[in-house]
Amino acid sequence: MPYFKLWKFSTLIIAYLLCIMLLFPYVVMLITSLKSPSEVYNIPPTFLPTEWTFSNFVDIWQVIPLSTYILNTIWIAAGATIVALLCSIPAAYVLSRINFRGKRLYLYLVLITQMFSPIVLLVGLYRVIHWLGLMDSVWGLILVNAAFTQAFAIWLLTGYFSTIPRELEQAAWIDGCTKFQALRKVVLPLAVPGIITTVIFVFVMAWNEFVVALTIISSDESRPLTVGIHAFFGKFDVQWQYLFATSLVAVIPVVILFLAIEKYLVSGLTSGGVKD
Amino acid sequence: MDGDMRKRRDDMDGDKRKRRDMDRDKRKRRDMDGNKRKHWDEWLSSPYLWILPSLLLMFIVIFIPIVELFMTSFSTISLAGVRKGFNGLDNYVAIFQDDTFYLVLKNTLVWTIFVVGISTALSMGIAVLLNRKFPGRKIVRAALIVPWAVSLIITAAIWKWILDYNYGTFNYLFTKLNIINENIYWLANPSLSFPAMIGVGIFVTIPFTSFVLLSGLQSISNDLYEAASVDGADGWGKFWRITLPLLKQPLTVSLVLNTIYVFNSFPIIWTMTQGDPVNKTDTVITYLYKLAFQSSKMGEAAAVSVISFLILLMFTLFYVYMTFRKESS
Repeated sequence: MPYFKLWKFSTLIIAYLLCIMLLFPYVVMLITSLKSPSEVYNIPPTFLPTEWTFSNFVDIWQVIPLSTYILNTIWIAAGATIVALLCSIPAAYVLSRINFRGKRLYLYLVLITQMFSPIVLLVGLYRVIHWLGLMDSVWGLILVNAAFTQAFAIWLLTGYFSTIPRELEQAAWIDGCTKFQALRKVVLPLAVPGIITTVIFVFVMAWNEFVVALTIISSDESRPLTVGIHAFFGKFDVQWQYLFATSLVAVIPVVILFLAIEKYLVSGLTSGGVKD
Repeated sequence: MDGDMRKRRDDMDGDKRKRRDMDRDKRKRRDMDGNKRKHWDEWLSSPYLWILPSLLLMFIVIFIPIVELFMTSFSTISLAGVRKGFNGLDNYVAIFQDDTFYLVLKNTLVWTIFVVGISTALSMGIAVLLNRKFPGRKIVRAALIVPWAVSLIITAAIWKWILDYNYGTFNYLFTKLNIINENIYWLANPSLSFPAMIGVGIFVTIPFTSFVLLSGLQSISNDLYEAASVDGADGWGKFWRITLPLLKQPLTVSLVLNTIYVFNSFPIIWTMTQGDPVNKTDTVITYLYKLAFQSSKMGEAAAVSVISFLILLMFTLFYVYMTFRKESS
């Protein structure tokens, strides 16, 4: 049937075009990061580098305190992940197991936190962070990132814990485990995929956070990567080759992590609204 | 969790009462099981202890700043950031008397409606496409994740470079392809830069939307389509009569969440134009940032935040309403 073949063919063409369009900017980023500084500002411009320059990836470690930025980013992302997990696991567990007075109110509160990004609250947030003495400190960013990912963590983990049969913990209780021990020894090991998804999501969100870091961090010692790369936006020109070389370093780990949890992402973000 | 609320509701009609009685029966049956009974009693004293850490975290980082935001919006704040007492509605009056506010409000509206609307329509097509089987589908799905995972600040920077006047890839490619004769100032003129930024907004909004819609599509049983084929429905008929009605829920969720995300978006505009020239491409969000951290008008910035907050709260209430209405039906 020619009609059927045409339909299949057009599906393929559209899909591959889409793929190219989605990756186009990132390919441009890669190509530009391999050009020499003089070629970046060449008129007429070139598409592919005439001379493949890998030295940009070496230079960036000298031009900006990149290793400090990366360590700060890792520290912020890991800290936020740990705080987010410590807060969301007990909550998700109790939510998945019993009803209690005020549960609905609590769920409303969680839903509301999902609705506000830090930016709308920035003026208030700035003042609260100031009070807490956490200006220019990674701790402030850790708390902010952990709090704004609570909704995702709680939705996803509650859903995950609900799939684990209660009989398993009850057996542990009968064997003399406390509630906490049963959670730690029986439930958590079974919920590892859900926990990994949460870990990666919080980690990537904290890794990519920009506005709050831009506002409360003022010194290189605590500056994360997303704010640090803005150093390449000079007053008159931008050092594109360095900017993109650094960006690649920042991007590769999170893309890999996000690819790993692809199929769980949607349920964590929407199960506040999609009930089955 | 439905239990408490239902019990308290006095004006129940017959239908609901019947459902409540059924719930009660279910609970009784559960209570007869000794183990479960014990389990429930033991938990009752402590569930609040289990939610306390998350509650505390959200309280400090989200709810106190909300209160602080409201207080600041009614106060005079010195340049050093000290509150110098309440000034009533002065900040709000200052905001509403400045024409800039109406300009950025209009920009925000255009920005949100266009980005959310167009990306939802495109994502619908992408979701339908990815729901088909074809060689390389995994690769396209992986490519779709990339703009979602990459920090917005980086994606925006790349687009700024692509749209650069002298060296940008767009001007280069379009010249090569003889589409344009001379380079275009993509980001200098608001009538071009604002649509360009909307394009970038769409680009980064598509992945999330497509994945939400795709997961909705995958939950639709193939039997429905087969039955429709037997009844002689064509492709469009199936889309309008089966796909779209069954996608209502994921569509609502993605529309509401996207409206909130896009309204709040900061990095794209901040990186590409910083709202220039003279606030012509600012949205409420970049405007309030400038007020607070460039002009040191914390009080007025707080007033703009409160207004944005109230707009978002309306969406939130709508979302909560949709969520819990579904749950109780």
